Amino acid sequence: MRNGSVRLRKSCRSLVVAVLFQGVLFGAVSSSRSLTCGACHTAQARSQPETSMAHALLLPGANSVLAAHPKLTFQHGSYSYTVETRNGQSTYSISDGARTISAPIQWAFGTGAQTWVFERDGRFYESYVSFYPLANGLDITIGDQGMEPTTLEQAFGRELTNTETTACFGCHATGAVSDYRVHFDSLKPGVTCEHCHTGAATHLEAISHGKLESVPPKLKALSAEQISNFCGQCHRSFEEVLRNHWLGQMNVRFQPYRLANSKCFNGADSRISCVACHDPHKEVVTDGASYDPKCLACHGTTSASSTSGHLQPVSNLHRVGKPCPVATSGCVNCHMPKVKLPGGHQEFTDHYIRVVHPGDSYPD
Amino acid sequence: MYLKALCACVLLTASVLADEGAFQRLSAQANAARDANNVPQAIALYRQALALNPRWDQGWWYLGTLLYDSDQYTDGRDALRHLLELQPNAGPAWGLLGLCEFETGENDKALADVERGLAASSELQPGMEAVLRFHEALLLTRAGQFDRAIQTYAMLIRRGSRSPELVSAVGLAALRRPMLPKEIPPGQTDLFLSAGKASIFTMSGDLEHAQQALNDLAARFPDASGVHYLRGTFLLVADTAQAVDEFKEELRVNPSNSAAGAMLAWVLLRAGELQTALPYAEKAATLAPDYAIAQFVYGRLLVETGSVERGIERLRAAETIDATFLETHLSLATAYSRIGRTEEARREREISLELSRKEASSLAQR
Repeated sequence: MRNGSVRLRKSCRSLVVAVLFQGVLFGAVSSSRSLTCGACHTAQARSQPETSMAHALLLPGANSVLAAHPKLTFQHGSYSYTVETRNGQSTYSISDGARTISAPIQWAFGTGAQTWVFERDGRFYESYVSFYPLANGLDITIGDQGMEPTTLEQAFGRELTNTETTACFGCHATGAVSDYRVHFDSLKPGVTCEHCHTGAATHLEAISHGKLESVPPKLKALSAEQISNFCGQCHRSFEEVLRNHWLGQMNVRFQPYRLANSKCFNGADSRISCVACHDPHKEVVTDGASYDPKCLACHGTTSASSTSGHLQPVSNLHRVGKPCPVATSGCVNCHMPKVKLPGGHQEFTDHYIRVVHPGDSYPD
Repeated sequence: MYLKALCACVLLTASVLADEGAFQRLSAQANAARDANNVPQAIALYRQALALNPRWDQGWWYLGTLLYDSDQYTDGRDALRHLLELQPNAGPAWGLLGLCEFETGENDKALADVERGLAASSELQPGMEAVLRFHEALLLTRAGQFDRAIQTYAMLIRRGSRSPELVSAVGLAALRRPMLPKEIPPGQTDLFLSAGKASIFTMSGDLEHAQQALNDLAARFPDASGVHYLRGTFLLVADTAQAVDEFKEELRVNPSNSAAGAMLAWVLLRAGELQTALPYAEKAATLAPDYAIAQFVYGRLLVETGSVERGIERLRAAETIDATFLETHLSLATAYSRIGRTEEARREREISLELSRKEASSLAQR
């Protein structure tokens, strides 16, 4: 075991030396400053920047959503909203007919549905309206439907607390939060390596000096439950949802919470965790059939040798689920139905894996 | 011999009938005196009637209430105890007994009996219920159960209670001082009134005034124990960084404030600063073995730092103190899952879901 570890270290060291040497030879890595994660983790570095997570926060000039919709308008009661984009700069305006408030869009959250955050007089505001692709237009921001603004300022946007601001930027950007505050000088928009792999920057620096001791914690070593909590820091864990009493249909957005309710989730079996089905370095796969092998890993007809039809908990790794009596493909279509959020502008796959009966109410 | 027995029987029957007659007469007179608000006479007549018929439960009730109203708490307590021997399910009598015991200084019994009275809240008139709730909160504070006391005060404040005695009582719970308002040392009244006012603003949802009142409180009493903890808990929702500073300041003022230590450890834990959090949590749990939050935070930190079995022990201790505390069950689910006790983890997740639903329903009713 120890020899294996030594061998692995040696081969890693050789790899690093090779990468550095290649950099010197071909100019790809001229110094430690330009050494990137991609030098070693090529595949991940190639695919991850193309993901939605990598574009979770968009800055002016990089907002493809608004570039494709140069003028958006919305009327809510007596308030008229306009979002106009010219030369890569977008402006959010609201008018009640007598007065108008305008602000440049500084931070756009999301690549599908999109909400904007503004800074005014040192305070941060979340836009009262958001862009929804399914509506191909604007509507009230999720969570704000219950608000009935009575002033132009209220209708402009909801003031965020410092805790909310750090939570928003903490999830949608990298290196944004330290000491419980947002630091815009160190902020990198979107989710990059360092966001999940804490210590990646230190590792990079150390690697450039040929030191291997600084490897960030291995996320692969986490159990299903730990991964669920890890991803749930942004996608909302079981704990977070219950702590905040986010019960009801709106919580379909919170996949780690929904998954944890599933009968097959036990926190220890790695076949039922976020990363068993999703590679965070790649864009999420939307073809339901592609997930069939994941379901059949437990519910396959050949491995399910049970005659009684019951679960056979031999061990977590060898648990066998009942085979589906209806089909052997398209599992998620039935067992992970799509749920439309109230308001109808967004649809999410319900990660609470279960046998869904027609007419069933939404289980919290 | 037979004649003698017959005579005795006749005499006994006559005596019983005479007593019965006297009881009827006295009880009617007692009720009339009570209706006429002639309290001393009513008390005397009820006593005479009850001497003849000690199984008259209604008499004990009226005697108990009259004695309580005339500040004769020891006698009132005894009368109500007689009644409860006859009617052990009489909720209001338990409540009134608790109030008598509160006045006689039997605080532990008072709390238990007030709570027994409140358990039958459907039988209580709204005014009586509010009085019992207020005393429950006073006694919870005296017993060091500050969080429960604050919940009860918050309920009263949402219902519109604003009596002056409430303000300093809330201040005591908010600053986590196990005292009754009458025990506040001379010279400290202003501290507790100010803390009470700030907390009442918070409980009423007037956050702007609450913040201002808390700022004033911290400026005027920077070295008073509990002040920075109170301000920290208020700030926690909106500004974690300031809350952390306040908890640290509280621990400077009062290093043995286990609530501040536990909260600081919890915030650090959630920020992933496990090793920094651990000593705060350990100290808080050691100082306050009966404080569920301190036990839970330390237990969770032990789980997160790899001492899962020890963590479970602490979490179980927290559960024993307060089985309805959601965070304990969430942490137990994590802990069991971490060591492959998957069925127990599932059970804890189910309990958590149920508790969260109950809390949500309770919040919706407010």
